[in-house]
Amino acid sequence: MNDNQFLGYERDDGSVGIRNHTVIVSTAPYANDTVKRAADIVEDAIPITHPLGRCQTKPDVFQTYRTLLGYATHPNTYGAVVVAHAGEIVDGDELAEDIAETGRPSDSVNIHREKGVMNALKRTVNSAQEMAQDASAQKRVPSDMSNLTFGINCATSDTTSGLCQHKATANAVWRLIDDYGGRGCFAETPEFFGGENELSERAVNDEVKQEILERVEHWDDRLQATGYDVRGAQPTPDNMDGGLTTIEEKSLGALVKSGDGPIQDIIDYGAKIPRDSGMYIMDTPGHGAESVTGIGAGGAHFMVISTGQGHTLSNAVMPTIKITGNPGSAERVPEETDVDVSEALVGDESFDWATDQLWDEIVDVVNGKVTLSEALGESQFAIHRIGPST
Amino acid sequence: MPDRYLQVVEPTDNVATALRELEAGETVSVGVGDEERTVEIAEDVIFGHKIAIEDIASGETITKYGKSIGNATEDIPAGTWVHVHNVESNYGRGDLADDEQAKVVSE
Repeated sequence: MNDNQFLGYERDDGSVGIRNHTVIVSTAPYANDTVKRAADIVEDAIPITHPLGRCQTKPDVFQTYRTLLGYATHPNTYGAVVVAHAGEIVDGDELAEDIAETGRPSDSVNIHREKGVMNALKRTVNSAQEMAQDASAQKRVPSDMSNLTFGINCATSDTTSGLCQHKATANAVWRLIDDYGGRGCFAETPEFFGGENELSERAVNDEVKQEILERVEHWDDRLQATGYDVRGAQPTPDNMDGGLTTIEEKSLGALVKSGDGPIQDIIDYGAKIPRDSGMYIMDTPGHGAESVTGIGAGGAHFMVISTGQGHTLSNAVMPTIKITGNPGSAERVPEETDVDVSEALVGDESFDWATDQLWDEIVDVVNGKVTLSEALGESQFAIHRIGPST
Repeated sequence: MPDRYLQVVEPTDNVATALRELEAGETVSVGVGDEERTVEIAEDVIFGHKIAIEDIASGETITKYGKSIGNATEDIPAGTWVHVHNVESNYGRGDLADDEQAKVVSE
């Protein structure tokens, strides 16, 4: 194996995973308990539960379905069991069929069809157990680094974020894109406020440029339509503790993590990140759990969470590597700090050193090293919703 | 030598970020582009927070990263702590929405 390769799990659809998970997906709140109980029983099975999937308008249904399908067909997913309650707007059988189309093992369990939760639980456990055993027999094989997609998110940002850890993160993602032919994806559209013009100038063409500006304006309109002052929500209290004063300041710092290279496209929440090499934007809120959930659905293999004050933010399917440049945070919350690069901010180290620290950790993680949040079983899952329930 | 723990991102910025605790009354040297500026710290400032590095009048733009991060809501003399108590944002301000829009929302 050379430097251009990592050891991954090959899929029939051409993608390569860095993990080999069995996921159990709920299609509605009434299947969540069955999913959680089954995942408790089957070793390493990941439960995907949420309060959505019924009484939603079409745009939200598409978004929920797309997000669930994204996790069930993620490169890091070996196979998936779908658990539905009854007939719902997010159809369990249809979802299982779409999963099977990618060549992954899939099964559909319906609580009503099984005459109740006990039978449904048994079938779910049996199915997931078989997948987990088959997955464990699959071997990692050398694969090209160009297959990798690098997700980027910030969390509990403070003023150190834009000055330090975001720079190392930007250098690392562009190393994957420029040197290895991989992909990057960042998000959090309301956190472009104040930097949207400069960001849009990085678009590869006028169409993408206009799309970026329109999506930023749409978020500003949505926020204003609440009739309230968004200063009550952004920056968040932990951001303010860390010295961030306004959403504009938070945004300008946040954009540092995307570097300054060209933007190929801005895609919908939870949509698959294109396979062509380059940097993409996903249109998500700044809400970390929702944003990270969207990028995971897009198929990012791993995510770098660039944090100021430290954060539990993580994802079970897409490993998260947390980096901070705030020396106080690295000391206060060591369990939220995979990579501490504060020496580049207040010590004698360079940003090249910081980039190498992060890159080395990324290489270890894509080859199988578990991150802090994986080792601790930390994960949050929150699908962003657009409109009201009906 | 400018204090390395006071960071000014762009030479046009009128605030610096403190990467150490600042004490009221101390005199600091701030590097602004190629120049050096002397500022007397007006009040204690904790790690990560900002100070004005020039006198900023009420209503004037606060500039960091060479861009507006909001407006001063009161006069902010050089050396003063700059934060949510004396700066306001210009984005997502539903409270400033016009009557017509407020009407649409209430319907």
